[in-house]
Amino acid sequence: MKKHIGFVALGLATTLLLAGCASDADSSSSASAGDSTIEIGSLYEPQNLSNFGGGGQGVTEAFNGNVYEGLFTLTDDGSVEPLLAASNTVSDDGLTYTFTLQDGVTFHSGKALSSADVKASIEAVLSDDSQSARKSSFGAITSIETPDEATVVVTLAERSISFIYNLSYIWIINSEATGLETTEDGTGPYTLGDWKRGSSLSLTRFDDYWGDPAANGEVVFNYFTDATALSNALLTGEVDIVTSVQSPDALTQFNDNPDYVVSDGNSTTKEILVFNDRVAPFDNVDVRKAIYSAIDTKKLLNSIWGDYGTLIGSMVPPTDPWYEDLTQVNPYDPDLATQLLASGGQPNGFEFTLDTPSYDPHPVVAEFVKSELAKVGITVNINTISSDEWYTKVYKAQDFTATLQEHVNDRDVVWYGNPDFYWGYNNPEVSTWVDEAEAAATTEEQTAKLKQVNEQIAQDAASVWLYLYPQIVVASSDVSGYPVNGLNSQFFVYDIVAE
Amino acid sequence: MTNYLLRRSAFLLVSFLIAMVAIFVLLRLLPGDPSNALLSVTATPEQIAAAQAQVGADRPVLDQFLTWFAQLTRLDLGESFISSLPVWPEIAARLAVTVPLTLMAFALALAISLVAGFVAAIKADRWYGILISGISQLGVAVPVFWVGILLVSVFSVGLRWLPSSGFPRDDWADPADALRSLTLPVITVALVMSASLTRYVRSATLDVMGSDYLRSARAQGSRYTEALWRHGLRNGAVPIISILGIELATTFLGAVVVESVFGLPGLGSMLLKAIEQHDYPNIQGVLFVSTLVVLVIGFAADVAQRLVDPRLRVSISGNR
Amino acid sequence: MSAVLIAPADVAGARRNRSWTLLAGLVLVGAVLLVALLSLVWLPYAPADTTGTRLEAPGGTHWLGTDKLGRDLVTQLMIGARIALVVGLGSVAIGAILGITIGLTAAFAVSWLDDTISAALDVVIAFPVLLLAMLIVAAQGASLGSVIVAIGLAMSAVVARLTRVLTKRVLGEQFVTAARTSGTRWPGIVVRHILPNIWPTLSVNLALQFGVAVLAEASLSYLGLGAPPPNASWGRLLQEAQGTVITAPVGAIAPGVALIMLVIGVNFIADGLRDVADPARKGSR
Repeated sequence: MKKHIGFVALGLATTLLLAGCASDADSSSSASAGDSTIEIGSLYEPQNLSNFGGGGQGVTEAFNGNVYEGLFTLTDDGSVEPLLAASNTVSDDGLTYTFTLQDGVTFHSGKALSSADVKASIEAVLSDDSQSARKSSFGAITSIETPDEATVVVTLAERSISFIYNLSYIWIINSEATGLETTEDGTGPYTLGDWKRGSSLSLTRFDDYWGDPAANGEVVFNYFTDATALSNALLTGEVDIVTSVQSPDALTQFNDNPDYVVSDGNSTTKEILVFNDRVAPFDNVDVRKAIYSAIDTKKLLNSIWGDYGTLIGSMVPPTDPWYEDLTQVNPYDPDLATQLLASGGQPNGFEFTLDTPSYDPHPVVAEFVKSELAKVGITVNINTISSDEWYTKVYKAQDFTATLQEHVNDRDVVWYGNPDFYWGYNNPEVSTWVDEAEAAATTEEQTAKLKQVNEQIAQDAASVWLYLYPQIVVASSDVSGYPVNGLNSQFFVYDIVAE
Repeated sequence: MTNYLLRRSAFLLVSFLIAMVAIFVLLRLLPGDPSNALLSVTATPEQIAAAQAQVGADRPVLDQFLTWFAQLTRLDLGESFISSLPVWPEIAARLAVTVPLTLMAFALALAISLVAGFVAAIKADRWYGILISGISQLGVAVPVFWVGILLVSVFSVGLRWLPSSGFPRDDWADPADALRSLTLPVITVALVMSASLTRYVRSATLDVMGSDYLRSARAQGSRYTEALWRHGLRNGAVPIISILGIELATTFLGAVVVESVFGLPGLGSMLLKAIEQHDYPNIQGVLFVSTLVVLVIGFAADVAQRLVDPRLRVSISGNR
Repeated sequence: MSAVLIAPADVAGARRNRSWTLLAGLVLVGAVLLVALLSLVWLPYAPADTTGTRLEAPGGTHWLGTDKLGRDLVTQLMIGARIALVVGLGSVAIGAILGITIGLTAAFAVSWLDDTISAALDVVIAFPVLLLAMLIVAAQGASLGSVIVAIGLAMSAVVARLTRVLTKRVLGEQFVTAARTSGTRWPGIVVRHILPNIWPTLSVNLALQFGVAVLAEASLSYLGLGAPPPNASWGRLLQEAQGTVITAPVGAIAPGVALIMLVIGVNFIADGLRDVADPARKGSR
């Protein structure tokens, strides 16, 4: 018996050793550059593959522009360009949009793209059971007509200057396709290879693509649950690119290393200390401004991101057209904070509960806010809650005093125009400006209105916009052609090549 | 024996059913709303309602229970709330990682601990006997994730011998590739598990060595090692088997930490994710499979004990 | 991770090693206890003091350096010692009270109830402490309290099973039969005869469970289900420092060393206690 066990042990050890030795040999198999496989590392695995069923940001990262395409696309530098729409015209009153589709576009299933597919795709986002985050942007649509195979006419009830921009979020999907939770039928340069849940998702080049074919043959998204494992995988060459580094700590290993390139791009993700502006003491502007001035956001940003990231001073990130630098509206100044507390009726400070989501970076931010506010006599009680509780308590019931949250989308300053939104900021002037901006005839007018909004919410310290996340992409130095800005977590992979 | 097997099987079935009902009820008693995982920070009231409809949270609990139980009798584990995908295929795919991981780690730990525990017992007064005891003391005090992180830093990031995480896309299509991915996780689990097993083996061996029957066997002229082998193994094996049963079950379910360290798409990481999202069908599915595994292992251990030592009066539940 | 039932006796070289094992255990645990007590009256820095620079190396002002937020690591470790003891003691207390109650109930109950309880315990025991704790923490939200309750509840099954076995053994003794026939009611029997007799063995197991609890908390923290930052446990410190292993190794090593010290310490004490509890085994070699 003992002998057998000895053999088993020996056998197992040998197997493990052999497996170990077989390692390095096969990793450098060289295909021609155009057919290479690009290995991407990401923290965001899709929950499912549907854009309407709560697939999460992972599905956007993997599929947007790669597998599915819209009539328009938001490019990496933030501008909106036509994609499946070859041309479009707008009536003078701004209420009728006529789109002509690109010629020769086929879905991955082989079916030709027609106007009916476009109509169905837009209607799917508007449907009752749609989970699309964009649903509310299309409230103005009154009808969608398809006079011929290649033409779509959309009529709006009122002007919507963002309509074209919003369309860039709608994927055009084969209207006959089913089972979109696990399969796809889009028009993009890649088809879905296989999706191994909990592990990876691969995209294969679509040979009948209507535009320029993808520069690589296959792209694999490898999913990780923690940032350390992700940077280890990059160090060991298991992945070529990391889409979005979530902690600067790993970067020291890559910064001064010629084998890697670290890109510091623009993100649209803001870390926000959200007050419930309806309830005391945060219904008082001076108290909110006092808190803003009591927090050394520069030091906070440095603690979390080292030398990366940006201070914004308001909700608008630099990639939005209506950005302006408002960091001095509420400067870091503890003395000013003390004065503002006094004028806000809280000369002796006060105590409040900060509902803190349990995942990074919120707990660390909460600790920092607590220690900063202690210096001006405000006591913060940190109440750690799960993401689930956050939605139930903070978002739906609006039962909170203050909370921390990251808001990832671009152009989302308009939410301050909605007095029913969870943060309860209610300034009728701002609401009017937001509506006027959307109804504007020109983008200049829209930009001017939204700048007003931006300035006003900063004046009112509607929330504390702690910092804007950096968008850090780390890649092996022998790959190129990847996007560096990661707007709304999209990640176009078709230009990536490996040497 | 047949009678015993029948009674023991009936017990297995009944306790399994009770466990499944208990899991369903307990999950529904938990606070938390599974539809929240489907929302974004800009969800409208209509979207919130749609999400609740998708997960069936708007239906009465009894209704949900009946649906679920009817499915269960057809061995259908339902569909995930979050992904709307059927639960069983995902579990099956993940078992292809967790089962080999558990079995290999268990075999390796058993091999290490049988040798180490035996040596530590019969050479208790030699330096290496003491060293083994010392290392096993250390081993039971180390958090398993720490061992994993350490091994990754040395063998993956440092020496580049083995991958730091993940599992091949094509599963076991290339067994060498899959084995390479499992090597460090297997070693991690085996190291920690063998520490406590070694202590059991050592102690069982010492008990046998000090026992009367061994002394009398020697008095009757058997050679020491031969006596130890012939009488000792059988007697020593009985307590070890029940410990092994529990350790095997523990490894299977405890793989969650190691899967997390090594980013393996196993059953544990599926459960962790499902718990985070309150994805009840997935939680129930994973617990269905793991409860079954645990009970079957317990069953096997009890039967094995009876086979090794027929004198044993094992009660129906396995308690002596 | 492992569900320790009745830990094996470390019999070898018992006489020679026993004294130093117990002593070493007491020294290790005593050191942690002292640090924890000290942390109540004195800390090098305030826990939330972020005046240090980010990830400072060990030196004069911060003996072991600072974490990502510039907080002093020694301070964090001292608070961690307190939390480790609270987690250990708290969950063992819950596990002991609940487990002993269930175990005694089973032992005294009619046979079908005894069988049912035992069967249920068998199923629960097969699930690792960690898994049960995961479910409970997920339900209650991560807080120090829910972690302690979770680990305590999970542990109670192990304690209950052991209590039942030990009680049954004592119940078979002549002096208990004598007490019963002389009309002593069961509470009297429990207090006068059962508990004093099972306590020595039980206490050894509880000491081992203390170590299991501290390790389970660390694993929960690693999975993000542990006590959140204001109560930074060693496990949480390890998890937070994981990303900075290369830039600030002390932060990733020191909490681990502290953790191992404490667990080895209580295991040593358990080994030492076992000889007091079960002197017969001492000379069994």
